Amino acid sequence: MRHVRVALARIAGVFGRGRSDEDLREELQAHLEMEALENLRRGMSPEEARRQAMLASGGLVQAAEAVRDQRGLPWLEGVWADLRYALRALRRSPAFTAVVAVTLALGIGANTAIFSVVRGVLLKSLPHRDGDRLVYLRHSMEGPGGANIGFSVPEVRDLRLGVPSLSGMAEYSPWNLVFRSDDGAVRIRVGLVTGNYFEVMGLSPLLGRVTEAADDGSGVPPVMVLTHDYWVRRFGGDSSVVGKQLQLDGTPVTVIGVLQPAPFFPDRIDALLNMVISDHHVSATMVEGRTHRMTEVVARLRTGAGLEQAEAEVAAVYARMKRDHADAYDAGANHRIAVIPFSEALGERARPTLWLLMGAAAFVLIISVASVANLGLMRGVRREQELVVRAALGAGMNRLRRLVLAENVALSLLGAALGVLIATGGMGLLSSLAERYSPRASEIRLDAPVFAFMFGLSAAVAVLLSFLLSLPREGALSSRITGQRVSGSIHRHRLQRVLVVVQVAVSVVLLAGAGLLTRTMIRLSEVNTGLRSEEVLTIQVPLLTPADLLFNPASDAGAKERYEEMRREIGRLPGVLEVGVGSPGPLRGSEVRLEVKAEGRPLATGEPTPRAQFRTAGPEYFRAAGIPLLAGREFSVTDGRGTGWVVIINETLAEGLFPGEDPIGKRLAWTGDVLRFTPISPDWRTIVGVVASTRDGGLDAAPRPAVFMPFAQELAMGGTLVIRTDTDPAALAPAATSIVRRVAPHAPIEQVLTVAQIKDQSVSPRRLNAALISSFGILAVIIAAVGIGGVLAFSVSARTSEIGIRMSLGADRGRIQRMVLREGGVLLVIGMAVGLLAAAYAGRMVRGLLFGVAPNDPTTFAGVAVLMAVIGLAACWIPALRAARVDPAMTMRL
Amino acid sequence: MGGDKMDVKQGTLALMILKTLEMLGPLHGYGVARRIEGTSGDRIKLNYGTLYPALVKLEQEGFVKSEWRRSENNRRAKYYALTRAGRRRLAREVREWHATADLIAAFLTPGEAK
Repeated sequence: MRHVRVALARIAGVFGRGRSDEDLREELQAHLEMEALENLRRGMSPEEARRQAMLASGGLVQAAEAVRDQRGLPWLEGVWADLRYALRALRRSPAFTAVVAVTLALGIGANTAIFSVVRGVLLKSLPHRDGDRLVYLRHSMEGPGGANIGFSVPEVRDLRLGVPSLSGMAEYSPWNLVFRSDDGAVRIRVGLVTGNYFEVMGLSPLLGRVTEAADDGSGVPPVMVLTHDYWVRRFGGDSSVVGKQLQLDGTPVTVIGVLQPAPFFPDRIDALLNMVISDHHVSATMVEGRTHRMTEVVARLRTGAGLEQAEAEVAAVYARMKRDHADAYDAGANHRIAVIPFSEALGERARPTLWLLMGAAAFVLIISVASVANLGLMRGVRREQELVVRAALGAGMNRLRRLVLAENVALSLLGAALGVLIATGGMGLLSSLAERYSPRASEIRLDAPVFAFMFGLSAAVAVLLSFLLSLPREGALSSRITGQRVSGSIHRHRLQRVLVVVQVAVSVVLLAGAGLLTRTMIRLSEVNTGLRSEEVLTIQVPLLTPADLLFNPASDAGAKERYEEMRREIGRLPGVLEVGVGSPGPLRGSEVRLEVKAEGRPLATGEPTPRAQFRTAGPEYFRAAGIPLLAGREFSVTDGRGTGWVVIINETLAEGLFPGEDPIGKRLAWTGDVLRFTPISPDWRTIVGVVASTRDGGLDAAPRPAVFMPFAQELAMGGTLVIRTDTDPAALAPAATSIVRRVAPHAPIEQVLTVAQIKDQSVSPRRLNAALISSFGILAVIIAAVGIGGVLAFSVSARTSEIGIRMSLGADRGRIQRMVLREGGVLLVIGMAVGLLAAAYAGRMVRGLLFGVAPNDPTTFAGVAVLMAVIGLAACWIPALRAARVDPAMTMRL
Repeated sequence: MGGDKMDVKQGTLALMILKTLEMLGPLHGYGVARRIEGTSGDRIKLNYGTLYPALVKLEQEGFVKSEWRRSENNRRAKYYALTRAGRRRLAREVREWHATADLIAAFLTPGEAK
């Protein structure tokens, strides 16, 4: 208790300094006078009385210091004094301070910004209750589009029964619903869930309630829970939306609650509903069909159970499933189930890019610190005089070290303060980048751990700088007092050279990375989409919902009429050359992938069943989209219902099913167990045409095999209008959309994009990567160039007398210049060699982000080497010129 | 300084200051110093750097309180006085001192054989 009082008193004592100093002075003075008075009374002379009193006191100044030590917090006040001193010293050299602060700000700011992203997206704990016990089950198979095929209800049932280490399994079925309101119609992405979903996931409502077991089954009213993101985006965070009814697919659904903020995987979800909204989901086909895979599964590990245990049990159950129901699993396609921690799954797509960015930012920091260290070394020479004087006045080595450390801390803090500005600015950019890669992007912010990281980084930088700029040992200081001119110790020069080499090497690595990423971006944008030209506008207009299609086939005819009307009207607009209808549109992947079989070509054992994308196209589709016809004919108006099944296939499927033969006239059919859940006929269909393949899965993915059916022959499962113009397609968008709205006022209109824009969507993440790393690279090169130039300039100024001697002995200007250039050149070459080696190694690590270019692409590396050499030599030029201009007469005189 | 001047540990100094204030009532620093030096027969010489930090510490601990007053010769000086807590502390310290002294004395007395 007593100690607490003392501590509190000391802290208070820090603040009352000024007044208590005066009081103390007066008190000590009073004591002195009283003692002197007593001495006087004893008979001493006034001077003697005073002198004896002074002696007895032991020194007023020392006494005051002793009291001060007791009163305040001496170490704190010492640090404060050091910092004030450091700031004064820095203010005396503003140029140095400014350059160092900005350099450090760039390094610290960039790292802080990227760390904030890494923390929000990868490191932060999940908002779910016990989120680290959640695991994601991924069902996959080989082949394009097989990365995530989902589970069927019977499969989930088997897993739930057979895997005891999973205490609960939360299933949800991703689904689309059309939300009609006064603002129009829009399709929202929902998840249909069973009653235990929120319980297993560990999510609580922010407002209202969530669905529970009572909401399962078919006789209950449909209810929905909004996700937090959607609630904020669409309803502005208005809490009165709870209890309202929204029109989804024509059915009124009550909003029973809003969920706490939480990331969803693998799709972004706008709302969660109970199953009853979709007749399909409560129907027998859904519940019994083993191949009808429409469910995603997230499970919770039982307490005490481990991931490996769960994996083993899942594998065992799955093997049994495959044995017992062999017809549901394609033997050649290597089906498997992976069990992944949920937090890891969330970060999957972001991880490679983020590590790339962290690496780049770390490099920038290294370069910044090296630069600052060099500047500090050069400045240190001048400071030495001052430090020598301080040492002579009695400052111990520890005190001097504290002074230097204080200065570096002050610089680091200054850099950090500016760095916060850079981080805040950079965060906005990085958040929009992160959004493409991670569902947790909205959680990125500058919070306490990020600041802790920043301060930790600043402290580390300060310590590192102090270590690099270590004071000369005690003996060395006194030798300097003898007054010889300080030209820098050999140790210092070597350190500077090493730092320059490090800077050059790191710059080379960054430039190489930037070069590789830029070439990736260029390669990607050069990829032939497969379409002939790009003045094409696409508009997605899903007139029918999946429920309509499955349960109300009569609506199909009406929808087709409306599509035809839209097609005709838009065709009359000026500048329009062709209008086609198809589903899905060009450069978009189809959600429906089915097995196909070719007539007369049975499968070999172990050969995976061929699969193809299910697409529909009207007669004008291929012409409008610019997809070249390679053989046979396009669809015509006569290909309708009842006139014989015909199909057109793309080149990839032709080569897969009929290698080396002409597929025209041959027949194929859709097959597979799942067909019986769909209205698609398993009859044989004749191939009448072959078209070129297009990059429907993204520019960096191989083209997928596809079968096109005539739009008229199949159900209109969402239609896309494809409009070819001879003018700017984007200019046509308003007129076209108003026609659509007129013909179908209640239909959602989506994805009004030109083909150029669709292509851009695939390229832009790479572009952002390339842009970021390139800017890091350019920054690095500039700092490194300044670094080399600075070191050389310093070396020249230190060697002026030597140069003077050489010149007077007959060296001409050119020779001096070459000497300096050679000095710089050696550093450059060593740095480049180290850097290129490191770049070759680093390139291998970012292989996953590259496209169309090898990780150690010689052209890129050569280009980087040349660039660095040119810039480096340019940086050396000025010091070389200055060296040549040294006047030997002047230098010799000193 | 001479050889028979004793070193004063800070804890014992605090005890001496408290006792002095108890016996003489509120007193300024000079008075305390004179009294302690006097009682010790001038074997202890207190310099300001020893005395005043001790006074400040006692004040921080709450055992003494200080106020500015006019001294005998009408000079402004800071007077220290015991607080109630200070009195209690003094009593406890004295008890402990006596206990310790008895214990050590028992050890140092040539002895009662066991």
